[in-house]
Amino acid sequence: MTWLAIFIIAVGLFFLVVGSIGILRLPDVFSRAHALSLTDSLGAAFVLAGLAVYEGFTVNFLRIVVVLLLVYLMNPVISHATLRAAYRSGLRPSVREEK
Amino acid sequence: MRFLSAIALFALWMVLSASYNVAHVALGAVVAIIVVWLSPKAAPNARRFSLTAAIAYVPWLFIRVLKSGFHVCGLILKPGLPIKPELIKHKTELSSDGELVVLGNSITLTPGTITVEVAAGELIVHAIDPSSQQDLVSGALDRKVGQLFTAKESG
Repeated sequence: MTWLAIFIIAVGLFFLVVGSIGILRLPDVFSRAHALSLTDSLGAAFVLAGLAVYEGFTVNFLRIVVVLLLVYLMNPVISHATLRAAYRSGLRPSVREEK
Repeated sequence: MRFLSAIALFALWMVLSASYNVAHVALGAVVAIIVVWLSPKAAPNARRFSLTAAIAYVPWLFIRVLKSGFHVCGLILKPGLPIKPELIKHKTELSSDGELVVLGNSITLTPGTITVEVAAGELIVHAIDPSSQQDLVSGALDRKVGQLFTAKESG
């Protein structure tokens, strides 16, 4: 069980690292938000799921599930609010030129 | 229905509170009942949420999130950064607030597409490359979200 938890958390950490690299590499606020949704909907989800597996079926397991649900409900709202604010203030996504 | 809401709120209280002595449990029950009593009743024309469809929807969405997650990972890690971001207008037949919320949130949850602006019948979506848009353009997501809500509640 512990090894399964370690594996799931490692998968989550992979997504967190790739998301961080994405934040650095992608060109503008719109595409950077995609890296953010990667860290949240997969990175944080797998780390929390790994913790839940490690914890076993206790009260803390249920608490982790509640946190997981909250992350899944709030992450898209925050991304959407940020991008809508950027869009309404006149920002437009940078379009990459074909080489 | 309101009774179920009170039960759900009380269950959440029990999960989050660390103590199970009489005072805390009773306080939780009282607060749950007061919150349900104060909260407005559902609008008469509200669409009913189908629980069985929702249970089928969550794994379907998660597999989609996982697939496009790996796709976006590939895009980020490739040396040439082969992204092709664009804003697309997505026409939808869904019109009620609940349906639009689920649709918009599902689009944003999926890596590769983010809802930027919502209006009735039209969403502006930012997509990071053409293959991320496939499910959206083909209408698969719209159909799934449409199935979540059954016909209007009578009365």
